[in-house]
Amino acid sequence: MSDLSHIRNFSIIAHIDHGKSTLADRFIQHCGGLSAREMNAQVLDSMDIERERGITIKAQSVTLNYTARDGQIYQLNFIDTPGHVDFSYEVSRSLSACEGALLVVDAGQGVEAQSVANCYTAIEQGLEVLPILNKMDLPQADPDKVRKEIEEIIGIDATEACLVSAKSGMGIEDALEYLVENIPPPEGDREAPLQALIIDSWFDNYLGVVSLVRVKQGVLRKRDKIMPKSTRKVHQVDGVGIFTPKRLETGILQAGEVGFVVAGIKEIQGAPVGDTLVNAQHPDVAALPGFKKIKPQVYAGIFTISSDDYEDFRDALAKLTLNDASLFYEPETSDALGFGFRCGFLGMLHMEIIQERLEREYDLDLITTAPTVIYEVVKKNGDIVQVDNPSRLPEVGDIQEMREPIARCNILVPQDYLGNVITLCVEKRGTQKDMLFLGTQVSVVYDIPMAEVVLDFFDRLKSVSRGYASLDYSFDRFETASLSRLDVMINGERVDALAIIVHHDHVQHRGRVLTEKMKELIPRQMFDVAIQAAVGGKIVARQTVKALRKNVTAKCYGGDASRKKKLLEKQKAGKKRMKQVGNVEIPQSAFLAVLKVDG
Amino acid sequence: MGELPLPPLALYVHLPWCERKCPYCDFNSHESRNLPETAYIDSLLADLEADLPFVQGRVIQTLFIGGGTPSLFSAAGIGRLMQGIGQRVALADALEATLEANPGSAEAEKFAGFRAAGINRLSLGIQSFQNEQLAALGRVHDSDQAHAAVAAARRAGFQRINLDLMHGLPAQGASAAMADLATASGYQTGHLSWYQLTIEQNTVFYKQPPILPVEDVLADIQDAGEIQLAAAGLEQYEVSAWAAAGEQCRHNLNYWQFGDYLGIGAGAHGKVSFSDGRIMRYAKRRQPDAYLAAAGDWRVQSQWLTDAEKPGEYMLNALRLNSGFALADYAARTGLPPSTLQPALDTLTARGLLLQEGTRVRASALGRRFLDSVITEFLA
Repeated sequence: MSDLSHIRNFSIIAHIDHGKSTLADRFIQHCGGLSAREMNAQVLDSMDIERERGITIKAQSVTLNYTARDGQIYQLNFIDTPGHVDFSYEVSRSLSACEGALLVVDAGQGVEAQSVANCYTAIEQGLEVLPILNKMDLPQADPDKVRKEIEEIIGIDATEACLVSAKSGMGIEDALEYLVENIPPPEGDREAPLQALIIDSWFDNYLGVVSLVRVKQGVLRKRDKIMPKSTRKVHQVDGVGIFTPKRLETGILQAGEVGFVVAGIKEIQGAPVGDTLVNAQHPDVAALPGFKKIKPQVYAGIFTISSDDYEDFRDALAKLTLNDASLFYEPETSDALGFGFRCGFLGMLHMEIIQERLEREYDLDLITTAPTVIYEVVKKNGDIVQVDNPSRLPEVGDIQEMREPIARCNILVPQDYLGNVITLCVEKRGTQKDMLFLGTQVSVVYDIPMAEVVLDFFDRLKSVSRGYASLDYSFDRFETASLSRLDVMINGERVDALAIIVHHDHVQHRGRVLTEKMKELIPRQMFDVAIQAAVGGKIVARQTVKALRKNVTAKCYGGDASRKKKLLEKQKAGKKRMKQVGNVEIPQSAFLAVLKVDG
Repeated sequence: MGELPLPPLALYVHLPWCERKCPYCDFNSHESRNLPETAYIDSLLADLEADLPFVQGRVIQTLFIGGGTPSLFSAAGIGRLMQGIGQRVALADALEATLEANPGSAEAEKFAGFRAAGINRLSLGIQSFQNEQLAALGRVHDSDQAHAAVAAARRAGFQRINLDLMHGLPAQGASAAMADLATASGYQTGHLSWYQLTIEQNTVFYKQPPILPVEDVLADIQDAGEIQLAAAGLEQYEVSAWAAAGEQCRHNLNYWQFGDYLGIGAGAHGKVSFSDGRIMRYAKRRQPDAYLAAAGDWRVQSQWLTDAEKPGEYMLNALRLNSGFALADYAARTGLPPSTLQPALDTLTARGLLLQEGTRVRASALGRRFLDSVITEFLA
């Protein structure tokens, strides 16, 4: 138990690969949160997918007891933040539980756009931002240059910036001291009635809903009767405590502290993220400002391969949305794929991660259709509709005007790669808004259609700049554009799940590349398979998967029979993973072919 | 269910050694200089005795000695084997007894001895009459030896001779394939097995694939060959088998008609039906050394076919025959009512892949070309 003056709540803002997780591990190690044996590399990235991809998706927290040089013991609550451009929304959530943030910058690479955006969020939320230069053990480390960059680009004083190497352990204690001295302690009246913000919630099969909370005022004790403001349902607290990072029951959380609460909430919408917990005896305590609902940027249909899995799929989505408020879903029916859900994501990475989690954690076999952004359609009768599914686009004759979402893209790039980045932005139909030379880096601002940004822009940007350019983007506005729906027809039958919306200038090219890609992915069958791309009634591209001429096992005598049968059974099992459209068998991968269509 | 009549019974004997293993061959064959001939024949006969309960009073209709290269065995050895078999099981008066032979000169000298031992049908692994093709296939014989072997078989008194030929060989065009077929059918041996080279797993070719003709050339070869063989008076009766009238291989027909067979020898497979409708498949120890040392423990896998597996197993065999099968035979051999087949039969008929003529079912010309797809529809 600590009095408020001995608590420090902080996050780490860092670009991917700049060493946030390693630094966090060092802090845990220094404060004795885990024994060396338990220090499974990067303990905070707790989802398998996070560890494999080396990124953090979900907010996690850890409470550490740090004995400072002044001999006092401080309670450090570290709330982790995601580092990928798709997840900036999650960052503001984590920051709302903190009084300060460490800005970790690779001392060799310098500042990246994502960190700039997150720093601004932190500063807006009134947090103290402390710069830390990491990877000082590397020969290319250039602290003076990076200090200057931090001051020029972000505009915070970096003269005091800590120099550390999370890898070698250098400067770790200095960083902790720096943090204790400079991050203000939390405020909050412990005598007042309970008011706690739910930063994150997730579903545990044994405990029900587990919530990560920041207590703003009052005290939260085991066996207290509490209620979330949104549901106003009263629950008894079964467990309360902190992560060390292991879950440790302490029986109490006080104002200023961060920890978990379990209250036997079984229904997964029972403790939504951003909600406020109050004591049932003081139900009128005001709700804290929650988090602004974030609008998904990318939509795609997801369908189970086997219709038997539909119920499981629905339950899995419900569980995932509990702690991923940015995941949106609603039922969708496709002629080609049957019953499924139209899902909305923050970006492509988010989509891939959700699909992977559904397949891995819930053991589902899924088909995902081509992702699309949301379009605004002005109909001739004056109605304005938003379309998140190309197959639901109103009839061409009813459309007065189509508008596409435009993203404001802030890009930071070393001067050497500026030319490449501009070429890419132009290719993606971008309009330059601003350009600023800051030391060796250039800050360029482009308005680019969201559809181009979410597809593969980030990957392309990285590849044209050898990984040095960084990006932050956000929705800016809808803008009138010349757009069409590109339909795909298989043997004359329109396949709704394959339709995409494209800019007029790209119709020919996309149609051609898409049909070529589909040709590679659809296996040869007993008859020719015609793949056509069409706009309105007009065919813009066509490919044919030539029929097999024969498919027969040459030799089969007594002893061979079992082996030949096994081979055929294997082929049959492969076919079961395909979708039948008319007479044609289409593999899962073909539905995502459009993703492979470059520019 | 009443008592089912037992199907005809055949006997397969596997001799697993070769002078050299061919790079395309995935059969159970092993290179060897010194064959343990005497010990192996002793084991075969003891193995047969252990299988006697499966005979269930039936007479052996056909016998097939395959390999490997059975012709590596001495004529005396084959004689002792034939005699030993005759002492243990009843053989039909009109027994068809086939032996597979390699067309090498050393083997050709033994043909008369094989004939004298009771072998009445010889299957020659010619593969091609062209030296470069034989070299590419890694065969130990050459074109001259291939021609000489046919003549030697005739001289030795064999009335029934099969020539095994392969097509779709590395760098082979349609004309070279047709030349081989013309040479083979010119011998008028009454039977040709003509099959496309396929790359099987666990072969040298699988690991180091040769460059094979493209699919269009393969299909052209198949089409041209079917026309040429028909013109030569041979009738295709199975995917890869052609015969003059009355010259079909009765042993292989028994497989394709879902008959029963005992299998003795290393890695040999057997299939046995029982009058209560159960069907068992079994295999013998695969490694020759292990087989020789098995002493009473030759059978290592036995497995009852489930009712769900039976339709697929039956079709995998019966639809290979150009004449197909009668629904009554399906019922007799599987113990299952043909009515359960009807939905699949009707669907495939509607797709033009099967023909239903009265009580018979067979693959259409289209169905024969896509037989794997047709059979897959019957798999569990």
